[in-house]
Amino acid sequence: MIAQLALNGLITGMVIALPAVALTLIFSILKFPNFAIGGMLTAGAYLTWVFNTLAGLPLIAAAAAAALAFSAIMVTSDRLVFRPLRDRGPITLLVASMGLSFILENVCRLFFGNLARNFDIPISRPYRVADLRINPEQITTAVVTLLAMLAVYLILRHTALGRAMRAVADNPSLAAARGIDRDRTILWTWVLAATLTALAGVLIGMDRAIDPMMGWSYIITIFAAAILGGLGSPVGAVLGALAVGLVQEMSILVIEPQYRQAVSFVAIALLLLFRPQGLLGQVRIAR
Amino acid sequence: MTRQAAPRAAPTLTAPLEARDLRVGYGAGDILKGVGFSVRPGEIFTVVGPNGSGKSTLIKSVAGLVPIREGALHLFGQDITGVPANRRVDAGLAYVPQEHNVFRNMTVGENLKLATEFLSASRVATHTQRDKVLAMFPDVAERLPLLAGNLSGGQRQMLAFACALMSSPDVLLLDEPSAGLSPKFVQEIFAAVQTVRESGVTIFMIEQNVAAALPFSDVALVLVAGEVRLVTPADRLLAEHDLHRLYLGEAA
Repeated sequence: MIAQLALNGLITGMVIALPAVALTLIFSILKFPNFAIGGMLTAGAYLTWVFNTLAGLPLIAAAAAAALAFSAIMVTSDRLVFRPLRDRGPITLLVASMGLSFILENVCRLFFGNLARNFDIPISRPYRVADLRINPEQITTAVVTLLAMLAVYLILRHTALGRAMRAVADNPSLAAARGIDRDRTILWTWVLAATLTALAGVLIGMDRAIDPMMGWSYIITIFAAAILGGLGSPVGAVLGALAVGLVQEMSILVIEPQYRQAVSFVAIALLLLFRPQGLLGQVRIAR
Repeated sequence: MTRQAAPRAAPTLTAPLEARDLRVGYGAGDILKGVGFSVRPGEIFTVVGPNGSGKSTLIKSVAGLVPIREGALHLFGQDITGVPANRRVDAGLAYVPQEHNVFRNMTVGENLKLATEFLSASRVATHTQRDKVLAMFPDVAERLPLLAGNLSGGQRQMLAFACALMSSPDVLLLDEPSAGLSPKFVQEIFAAVQTVRESGVTIFMIEQNVAAALPFSDVALVLVAGEVRLVTPADRLLAEHDLHRLYLGEAA
């Protein structure tokens, strides 16, 4: 029982890790908490559904096509929504991102209605390993998330884009003085964030169903994971996501399942009381 | 970036750096109220002035980090007034900020790499340039794998210098190179500035520490309340003028 819950918790955490990393990347480079992450998740899932069921692509190809299309949508959204407000401070951008979330969500509702949709994939029975029940979707989730995290890590550590992103995150004006084009770095950050979020939307859609509200049921958990890890730290966001996933699932042992979101809040409140900068965040000294 | 900019009033000869009537500000009013100067090739040109005189705004506007509202800025005769900061480096203008002048979350090696990674091919440091820079700053060369955030203030200043030089600039902008450093390091920094100048780089710096900077400078510009009060050979500034009276606003 405990092992099963731990397994489920880790898988939940892995799904959350994708948008949590996206959130933390956007936060470190654009300096605002992006509430559109929920709507992005929903839109990514619906786009994949369109490519999968309407265009008839296999799910992997549909997810790839959706990631591309959604990157283009988010780059355009940035041009239209965030770029004109870029230097207006985090609160303005936060409110704008809420607005964008509503737009994304309601465009999905407009086209596809409120009914839940499912991907065109065969229903498969879970494997049994020892006493554990493992769904094929859980294996897919684990593989996809690990590959995505590895890719993000390699990009951030070992590519010119990664260095540009870390430079802009740390010190935008010094980055400019070193010849780094901030707008281009931001564009690629959105591509990365859109891809990660769309992937998470697909994984969640495989696990449950796709509906216009799916983003909302994850947004708090995603924020919790990113904050827990210390906003701005991708590795922290992954750890935070795994911790939130584990705590939520394990809490079923002691309380009713419908309260599990509350448990992660309590955990966060406690952690932030003792470590305000989050797990891996840097201490910020206000000047 | 057009090569032959500003057909009217060609800049005198081709001064490495020339400003005409710069007006720069953040909010309503202007902080710089029409600043002009011309820096000659190979010179160390130092701007001094009291706190709040606009020195910092001046160097940031030259680096491209604060937009110029009116006036013109030329680099070797080329109009760079509206060129964004990240493309001024390509034009040959390198900038060393006063603080937060290295990427603290990266290693010293990564900082050096990043200094040229995003520049156009003509600026990308050759290995000889890298070797030259590292030879000039042995302290930096010894610490390539260290995180830049763990360096001391003086070492960070040296690293920032080295990064700026990696792009083989024609003009180097220094924002208070001596700020926050111990007297011993101040001497070292200015010695380094002089070495850089001897390699043919023109230097434009602002400095609060007048006494330390003047012996190393060729020309001094006194900036008070956003206006140029005086431009003079550096060695004559203290001999012939009363800095306090200049700062207080009396005519030279």
